[in-house]
Amino acid sequence: MSRASRREYHQRLKEALDNRFLGQTLARFQGNYRGSREAGFAGMDFPALAAEVGAAKDAALGRLEELYEQFKAQAEAAGAQVHLAADAAHAREIIADIAAQTGSRRIVKSKSMTSEEIHLNRHLEAQGLQVTETDLGEWIIQLRGEGPSHMVAPAIHLSRSQVAELFTQVTGQKQDPEDIAALVEVARSRLRRAMLEADMGISGANFALASTGTIATVTNEGNARLVTTLPRVHVALVGLEKLVPDLNTALKILRLLPRSATGQLISTYVTWITGAVECAAAGGRKDLHIVFLDNGRLALSQDPVFSQALRCVRCGSCANVCPIFGKVGGHTYGHVYIGAIGLILTYFYHGREAARELVKNCLNCQACKVNCPAGIDLPGLIKKTAGLVMAEQGRPLKNQLMRRVLTNRPLFHFLLRRAYLAQKPLARGGRLIRHLPLFFAPDQEFRSLPVVAAEPLRDRWQRLAPRVSNPRLKVALFGGCLTDFVYPEQGEAMLKLLAGRDIQVDYPLGQSCCGLPAAMASEEETAREVARQNLAALEAEHYDYVLTLCASCASHLKHYPRLLADDPAWTQRAEHMAAKVIDLASFLQKEVGLEPVAGRGAKAAYHAPCHLCRGLGVHQAPRQLLQGAGYDYRPYEDEEVCCGFGGSYSLDFPELSAAILERKLKQVTATGAELLVTDCPGCVLQLEGGLDHRGSPIRVRHLAQALAEAQGK
Amino acid sequence: MSQPQLRQEFSRRAEAVSAVVKTVESLEDAFAQAARLTREQGGACLAAPGWEPGELAALQAACEREGLELITQGLRERAGQFHTGLTRAQWGVAETGTIVVDSASEDLRLATMLAEMHVAVLPAANLRADLFALEDEVNRTLGRAPGYLAFISGPSRTGDIELVLTLGAHGPRQLHILLLEESS
Repeated sequence: MSRASRREYHQRLKEALDNRFLGQTLARFQGNYRGSREAGFAGMDFPALAAEVGAAKDAALGRLEELYEQFKAQAEAAGAQVHLAADAAHAREIIADIAAQTGSRRIVKSKSMTSEEIHLNRHLEAQGLQVTETDLGEWIIQLRGEGPSHMVAPAIHLSRSQVAELFTQVTGQKQDPEDIAALVEVARSRLRRAMLEADMGISGANFALASTGTIATVTNEGNARLVTTLPRVHVALVGLEKLVPDLNTALKILRLLPRSATGQLISTYVTWITGAVECAAAGGRKDLHIVFLDNGRLALSQDPVFSQALRCVRCGSCANVCPIFGKVGGHTYGHVYIGAIGLILTYFYHGREAARELVKNCLNCQACKVNCPAGIDLPGLIKKTAGLVMAEQGRPLKNQLMRRVLTNRPLFHFLLRRAYLAQKPLARGGRLIRHLPLFFAPDQEFRSLPVVAAEPLRDRWQRLAPRVSNPRLKVALFGGCLTDFVYPEQGEAMLKLLAGRDIQVDYPLGQSCCGLPAAMASEEETAREVARQNLAALEAEHYDYVLTLCASCASHLKHYPRLLADDPAWTQRAEHMAAKVIDLASFLQKEVGLEPVAGRGAKAAYHAPCHLCRGLGVHQAPRQLLQGAGYDYRPYEDEEVCCGFGGSYSLDFPELSAAILERKLKQVTATGAELLVTDCPGCVLQLEGGLDHRGSPIRVRHLAQALAEAQGK
Repeated sequence: MSQPQLRQEFSRRAEAVSAVVKTVESLEDAFAQAARLTREQGGACLAAPGWEPGELAALQAACEREGLELITQGLRERAGQFHTGLTRAQWGVAETGTIVVDSASEDLRLATMLAEMHVAVLPAANLRADLFALEDEVNRTLGRAPGYLAFISGPSRTGDIELVLTLGAHGPRQLHILLLEESS
């Protein structure tokens, strides 16, 4: 059963990856979005504003019931009728009843994700009602019998030819796919008629203001204005989490919502409706019904961890910046709700079966998190949601093995050493394995894999470590599994850079895996256990810094305090350690100051590891160091986009990992670089494996190696 | 921001979202421009709800000069028949090029939604730097129930077919903002 649904999901992913038009459109969409968003937020302190919105939403979520009562009193005093639907079925029933009581047969709708959530159209149509979507994209997908593939741009998966073909069928007249204005005109005239003839208009709402009982919609096309004006009945379907105390809160959100959605400073129409307004078709006042949908929201708002998901303002930016969405689109990267937030909400609104495969499909690249206007820790919540799914259906064997192995360092390291022996025949004396036996790792042929080192860094340490009699700084190196067991040469290069600078570097031998793979597999207890072991082993109190060569380890070590927040015996220790964690580039800039190297060195492109640029907020240091070391630095557009590694992600979703890597390597190759530099051994594995697989002459170097080589060391 | 800065920023932002911004010296001037634009575009009818009886005489004269029919109410019955909706805007927002239109009146709403072109007359003195600077005014309006308040930034638009920006998806295809510089 579970294997079948997994196979089915991967089959759908493959179909999406094979759709060339989709790939091109999404790439253009994401590329344009990045520029528009940046322009939209120019001169603004986005992180501070997002934190402000997050705090304002949290405050509102903490008192939803109170806000609801206040809203209801205000709106009803203004002539509206306010309903509260416990779940999807209840909401559908309320709306169908309103249609029956008002004798409404023809219904027009403006775009509402909440109505998609409860599959409203299907239900109303089953009652014999005629429902017409009036947002252009929504109308197109309604005619095709599909769901939206993006929360803001629902028909983004379709080409102009497909739309022209569809409109040719609808109108009985040949439509020219190249004349998009004419296609829009078809919708304009058809839908105008539908709106003029309709008895009932159904809208969503972006805000519900408790202070005045006002609902607000934010749209570009203007259909929501017509839908709420022309018919004699207006039903607004509103998720309870849209309640905010007042206008000020709504304006704070509005400042970020359109900029995050499309890069627009504001959407064309922001409409504020308070009560039953004048409506000649209703013989005086509009028949206004506001239906609030609970469907699990109240319970979720009380959850200490997951209430954050309700901060979402439906801007869609988490899809716009997601490398996975950029490859497969919303029909495979969402259920009804799309993008990172969709992975979470699907579980809560549509259940475990709908979420099971979907919720695993996250690289943890953090792009959504840093772009979220409500400051939602999307990747964190996705892992926790996956943990819930896992807890309900039983932990897979690989998780049980992981727990046993990762929490037992001697066993783990014994297995890594044995891996060297097992791999030897496959490597044929080289550094990379080009062909794995297929039963071992299916679909891994897109990249070569590195060979586990004959002698790990920890075994070389006694020989290599500098003896400093009177150090000005004491540094503990946190090696991480890859540097230690696969790429010890990266550690050696780092030691060369620090040699002769009065810096003592120790390698505490009790350290083990940082625990990120466990966290990624939603094995939180294992991650905590490993964290405690590392804290004990590192004895950070004896050091000025905990230095890392792996951005992922660094960012995860910094996460220890949150991981151990419920473990008072360790929280403080974790905080002290986390404060000392530093990446190599920042350390070199802050404490070493490498001598500049003159002359034009090799042409070098840079790949920014997710956990360095977004996890630690380090952007310029590595690039500056490369230039300072005389490299001819060659920038490209997607420098800060994930390489597709994501640790075990590349094993679970090899088709996507390969596709994301492909895009990156294409851009790198186009720069004419001879060298690709990065500062995370995981990225090195992915990039080097991919370049080797395609026979590229571009060499991959860890920043430590690139700098040491430039210094002639 | 000073008045001239507000005006400059407002125009820049409104034009960036495809609105047309012009300055007029008087209401008569505004009416004349609206009527002339309507005729130039081949329109025959101008819908102008919400104007004071004292102002309507000048508008009637302007329409007559251009050979246009003027209607001021019952717009629902005339859907599809008026080319232009001519309304007031209460405030303007420089940061986003937005006009704020109190649309509680149904006819006023229909004029700004069903017309091919929306012409809005905005007193230049009512420009503000951003929406937060209008918070009190907007709050007061929201408190007067029932109400329908519109923030409008440029003409109706869509990007739903291959992200190609197309104006006039559902509402007006053009938005003209006439900034009224009245000394009185």
